[in-house]
Amino acid sequence: MLLSRRLMLGLAIAGTMAGALAFPALAGEGPTEIDLFFPVPVDGKLARDMGTLIKEFNETHPEVKATAVYTGSYDDTLIKTRAAIKAGKPPSAVIMSANFLLDMQIENELTNLDSLIAADGTTKEKFLGQFFPALQGNAVINRSVYGVPFHNSTPLLYINADKAKEAGLDPTKPPQTWAELTDWAKKLTRREGDKVTQWGIAIPCAYDYCGWMMETLTMSNGGRYYNEEFGGEVYYDTPSMLGALSWWNDLIAKHKVHPPGATPGPAVSTSFISGNAAMMMLSTGSLTYVRDNAKFNYKVAFIPRNVRNAVPIGGASLIIPAGLEADKQKAAWTLIKWMTSPEKSAWWSRATGYFAPNMAAYKTPDMVDFLNKNPDAKTAVEQLDVAKPWFATYKTVPVRKNLEDEVMLVLNGKKQPKDALAAAQKAADETLKPYNAETSLKLP
Amino acid sequence: MNLIDRLFRDAPLATRREITPKLGFVLTVLLALVWLIPFLWMGVATLRPASDGINLMAELMPSLKPTLDNIRDAWEIGDFPRYTLNTTIICTGILLVQFVTITLAGFAFARLAFAGKTLIFYLFLMQLMLVPVLLIVPNLSLIAQLGLYDTLTGVMMPFFASAFGTFLMRQAFEAIPTELEDAALIDGAGLFQRIRHIYVPLSLPSFSAFAIISVTSHWNDFLWPLMVINSPDKRPLTVGLSVFTKTAEGTQAWGTIAAGTLMVIAPLLVTFLIFQKRFISSFVTSGIK
Repeated sequence: MLLSRRLMLGLAIAGTMAGALAFPALAGEGPTEIDLFFPVPVDGKLARDMGTLIKEFNETHPEVKATAVYTGSYDDTLIKTRAAIKAGKPPSAVIMSANFLLDMQIENELTNLDSLIAADGTTKEKFLGQFFPALQGNAVINRSVYGVPFHNSTPLLYINADKAKEAGLDPTKPPQTWAELTDWAKKLTRREGDKVTQWGIAIPCAYDYCGWMMETLTMSNGGRYYNEEFGGEVYYDTPSMLGALSWWNDLIAKHKVHPPGATPGPAVSTSFISGNAAMMMLSTGSLTYVRDNAKFNYKVAFIPRNVRNAVPIGGASLIIPAGLEADKQKAAWTLIKWMTSPEKSAWWSRATGYFAPNMAAYKTPDMVDFLNKNPDAKTAVEQLDVAKPWFATYKTVPVRKNLEDEVMLVLNGKKQPKDALAAAQKAADETLKPYNAETSLKLP
Repeated sequence: MNLIDRLFRDAPLATRREITPKLGFVLTVLLALVWLIPFLWMGVATLRPASDGINLMAELMPSLKPTLDNIRDAWEIGDFPRYTLNTTIICTGILLVQFVTITLAGFAFARLAFAGKTLIFYLFLMQLMLVPVLLIVPNLSLIAQLGLYDTLTGVMMPFFASAFGTFLMRQAFEAIPTELEDAALIDGAGLFQRIRHIYVPLSLPSFSAFAIISVTSHWNDFLWPLMVINSPDKRPLTVGLSVFTKTAEGTQAWGTIAAGTLMVIAPLLVTFLIFQKRFISSFVTSGIK
């Protein structure tokens, strides 16, 4: 595994090296030093892979010296980036959760990439055309480019195929609607007296993940989480979200096929791998982990619908903070283009399970090979046809937590969905108030 | 029962035949066992080969084929000797400066008379109410202006003064009879000589209690060092460890995490085991439990 990974990396580097030779190195001065902030959204060994990636970049680009700076979770990375910008020490590039871009743009913390794209002699349309259309909603704000998609995800339904067969279900025909999924979950739940020995389904709910899963369920219930055009409105207290949360709650309280309480992502994947949960809804970012650890046949499928098929985008984009010197900005742009090239994109996708945002990545020979051997990696890409942007508002994290806190209360059996959503809406309206006062409510 | 009887052989005669202390002892042992389980699990998980799979991961039973692979993995991912050194520098650096500042400030509040003393003292205590996260941005700007961004000194700086420590030392100094100081004064001792020879030696238990609190809290601090430090070779243990424990959408390698955690807590754990008696007695005499 390691050897083949190195081999792929070697091939990719050889390719980029040829490209790098075309540009003469800057004479005289030393290399431009830049920092890349990165969270670890995946298994920790990838922190080492990130180190390898940056080392290769430095070797092939003598005019730049990049340092990869580990910055915690997605939320921690936002805090650190903001603090560094305010302290006058902005990093040159950041792998930022894709839905934080709008908030950062509102706060004037992002570099508009349009002029850098124009300086390369290409157009916005051409540049964005490399990436899957579904990803553009989180990269383009007011018709300007602010981020470059790096690794992205959609939620998936993971099914333990062996257990499905045992229960008389056909894993080649996965559940397509909530009704079918509820039925599957009931048939896949095993009980000994009052004790459940095997859960039908598990859906994670922890900060960050919980908001994303709520968006997933709300969208497949026909609704929207937020106003995609404007950062000041969220739709928490709506029938579509009430239906979504009630169904999730019913799986726990009424049907008793989902473990009670708010379960974090790693606990969900662990219980799926151990056979304690027969199905789970989780990011495609966990696919490599499941593939490496499952001792049974598994199947990945689209997220079932109640009203329509729809899923949100997840994952991260590369951004350049505002307020950088021109040479650092240029060096960061070189790094970003290199990291999102088809070869790098494809390599990172195979290592993590995230899908590659660059469409050309799927035409590279290594990737074609890989998909033939692992057809499960195709599902997330196919699901992109029904994918929509990830929720992004003014103060995304607090607005998201306004909902998550209430959802956790419901899953823990302490509140009814209707009351919880009303409370969440009220809290979010309060958080969004300053922005609305400055925009939609500021009348001429 | 024989073992428990023997344990109570030295107890005062009156309680030797009573049931309550024995019951208390048994309960303590049970509680200790519950407390010990995560440690045992960490030890077992560290030595469990990945080939056992995730199914056995939650079991406390040790694997039949123990392996050092997890330790090797953790060791390779993180530069632990370097992280440990950085954390040690941060903790001792903070503590040494704190000793000086809290002694002087505590003495001032306990023994000196000056205008607005009570008001200033309450202002001091109000710091304890502030959530540290609130101060991240102002502290970081200040540190960047001082040219201390991405330095260990920058990590230590905000903690050089301690409101809690000042409060603790004020209480300790106030408990010391003024007659002792008066006697020294008659012998011609100056201000710093009195602090050095009377107040400090008599407050040692409070100093060690404070040292434990200070070292453990800074040893475990994650967010602030994460904000200040960029260079990988300046990371403290917490930041180094989280490289393989913090995940959002992915999953976790429990064996590696267990091994990494073991390496992080080992120095503190060993220190505690060696100085156990002294630690406990310092808390008892300083009135914190």
